[in-house]
Amino acid sequence: MPPWVDFQPFIVSGLALGGVYALSGVGLVVLYRATGVLYLAFGAVGALGALTAWSLGRVGAPGWVTWLVCIAVAALVTLGYGALFGPALSKRDPLIKAVATIGLTLILYGAMDLLWTTSGGQARSLALPTDNGGFSIGQVQVTWTQVIALAAGVVITVGTGAFLRFSKLGTAMRAMANDREITATLGVPVRKVEAAAWLGCGVLAGVAGLLLADLVALDATTLTFLVISSLAAVLIARLRSITVTFVAAIVVGLLHDLLTPITALTNYRDMTPFVLAAVALLVMPRSQVLAQSREEA
Amino acid sequence: MKAHMPVSRVLSARRTIVLAAAVAIAAAGCSSSSSSSSSSSASSSAPASSSSASSSASTSAVSTSQCGTKPGVAATGTPIPLGAIATNQPGTSFTDIPNMAAAYFACVNANGGINGHPIKLYIETEQTNPAQIAADAKQLVDTDHVVGIVGNTSIIECSVDSSYWQKLGYFIVDSGIAPECYSTSNSAAVNMGPRYSSDGAVQYALAQHVNKIVFDQSNVPGTGYIAAGPDALAKAGNVPIVNLTENVPISDADSVAIKEVDDAGPNGAVVLNFTPPEALVILQAAQKLGLEDHVKLWGCSTPCNTDFLATSLGPKWDGKLFVNAELLPPDVTNTATMNLYKAILKQYGSAVSGGIGSFSQMGFTEAEILVHALESITSGSYTVASVNAAIKGVSDFNTGMLCQLWSYGDYSLHIPNNMDLTVTPASGKMVTAQGCTLISNVDPQIAAYRSAAGTAAMAPAS
Repeated sequence: MPPWVDFQPFIVSGLALGGVYALSGVGLVVLYRATGVLYLAFGAVGALGALTAWSLGRVGAPGWVTWLVCIAVAALVTLGYGALFGPALSKRDPLIKAVATIGLTLILYGAMDLLWTTSGGQARSLALPTDNGGFSIGQVQVTWTQVIALAAGVVITVGTGAFLRFSKLGTAMRAMANDREITATLGVPVRKVEAAAWLGCGVLAGVAGLLLADLVALDATTLTFLVISSLAAVLIARLRSITVTFVAAIVVGLLHDLLTPITALTNYRDMTPFVLAAVALLVMPRSQVLAQSREEA
Repeated sequence: MKAHMPVSRVLSARRTIVLAAAVAIAAAGCSSSSSSSSSSSASSSAPASSSSASSSASTSAVSTSQCGTKPGVAATGTPIPLGAIATNQPGTSFTDIPNMAAAYFACVNANGGINGHPIKLYIETEQTNPAQIAADAKQLVDTDHVVGIVGNTSIIECSVDSSYWQKLGYFIVDSGIAPECYSTSNSAAVNMGPRYSSDGAVQYALAQHVNKIVFDQSNVPGTGYIAAGPDALAKAGNVPIVNLTENVPISDADSVAIKEVDDAGPNGAVVLNFTPPEALVILQAAQKLGLEDHVKLWGCSTPCNTDFLATSLGPKWDGKLFVNAELLPPDVTNTATMNLYKAILKQYGSAVSGGIGSFSQMGFTEAEILVHALESITSGSYTVASVNAAIKGVSDFNTGMLCQLWSYGDYSLHIPNNMDLTVTPASGKMVTAQGCTLISNVDPQIAAYRSAAGTAAMAPAS
């Protein structure tokens, strides 16, 4: 086992990664609670936004414009999908709704492979200016991007919790999570509420795509499938609790990176999300999670 | 608000959770497999584009008509059918190589062909599926009746089809990735492949007197075979070596970079064998964390030899990262062959998406070799037997793209390209840091090849 000092840099990188996983996980949970859709295209739309931002940067667009475009692209694609297919899918089984988003994932993935090909060995990157600054904790270098990633996870989790609890729109989303038909009967404009949920999820996908493109890689395959780590956190929270999602995402990110210096386990660290999700689903009493969800509601 | 979920909704949610778990596992499998292939391919095949959009100004002055024996006269005879198999899947595509070979053949066909016969190249693509690859080979033979195979670049094709080609008497000219591309009697590559390219990168690091090597590569089948070369070199130099592997795509580049640097130490070297995108994320992570100067030098096998990478990394890596190069650098080489390559690419290479770079250089070189072999057939009969005898007979051919003269020959293994260059980033380009240097005989495979085939002479500029 390596000495404690060897683990310290991995705590920083793990927290940053966990923060982005939390950001993604919260987006997935909010959308699921409002619409019943498990949005498996979350990573793909983020990747599309990030690659679009990269292309704009190549033609001289200012950095802030490319970041906004990244978020806008992800938000619009997600909103467009929700507006187009949401109504038709609203009465279908959640399984069908989730599978439908795989279709979107594959379409986007194929399009990205075509538009941003790697057949000539192309390597792309999206660096944020916050990479150039930071501070040291002992011998550990921390970049502002890592701080932002963790802070974004915290802020989004707290903000979303407050939004769902205190805002009219959030209350409507929670109502729809319980029963869409009754909520509609009570006069809640369910289409608008769903559209807001799709838009919010898309915005979070864009933000996550931007941060992950910087922290991990600007690559369609990597970003598309990175949603799996967030999915593990969401599964641990059983698609309900944003607090559990946040904690699980941080644990996934931390544990994943802390296994890196342990030679015997380092090649198995990518299993972390799945192992944690499987253990949580098997061990954690379902009633406990639902009770926590009700408390949050 | 009190949340009360109806029973049906609870059941649906539970089913969704199960589906999500299944999707996550399946997607992870897909991701892993596709990226494995991706890293394996790139890490393996030197294929990396050293490219740049900027082709040399002298290109426009070169006429493509010199690629054939009868300038301006289109070949109208019976086509000579050749075949190629290339990996083409999301994240990993080697089609630029056969596409560039096809561009060269198009040029030859427009300028006399082979004794009036045009060359027709049938290109099959595959997605790392052995059954599909075997079927592709059968289709080329049974349906397309190809008489030669040139331009193959595939993650596992050599492993799958080697015995099939051997049984039918085909002698393949390819860009190698799998070990069988180098260790069998009927495959000869124009590139070095992952093992010997990594040898070259480690050899350069050892020459800079580092006191430790950390060799990191994609966690894909064959890593032990690749690592055996660097291991042998480090052992011979009495320098400790640490072998690492990473699952790809890499999702925690910061952690990877930190571990590499920690393991190497301040006078050590980190040598990478990854695809350009994976290498880039590791190097960028190191840069963000200020780790680039925490080791004596960084090395990389051929896939890093790309201007995309040099541009993305920026000036902090100039003279800090040293990359093995298997072909002459197109940006700074001003020879007739290099200019012809650029001119053909410009006129006939619309299907070559990566433009100037290692991939298209390999395709060009393989096509050159085939044309040279076909032109040596004086009988006018282009059969499997005659064409493959001619290919096998290619000896000391100056491709104009490699450090050495290239030969096929009758050997149990083929590593005809075993002399490398080392390049380093400089202002967004890769420039030569060390000229043509033989890969060390310390690698037992190199020693075995040289024992059988001798050491090829350096190629004069052409």
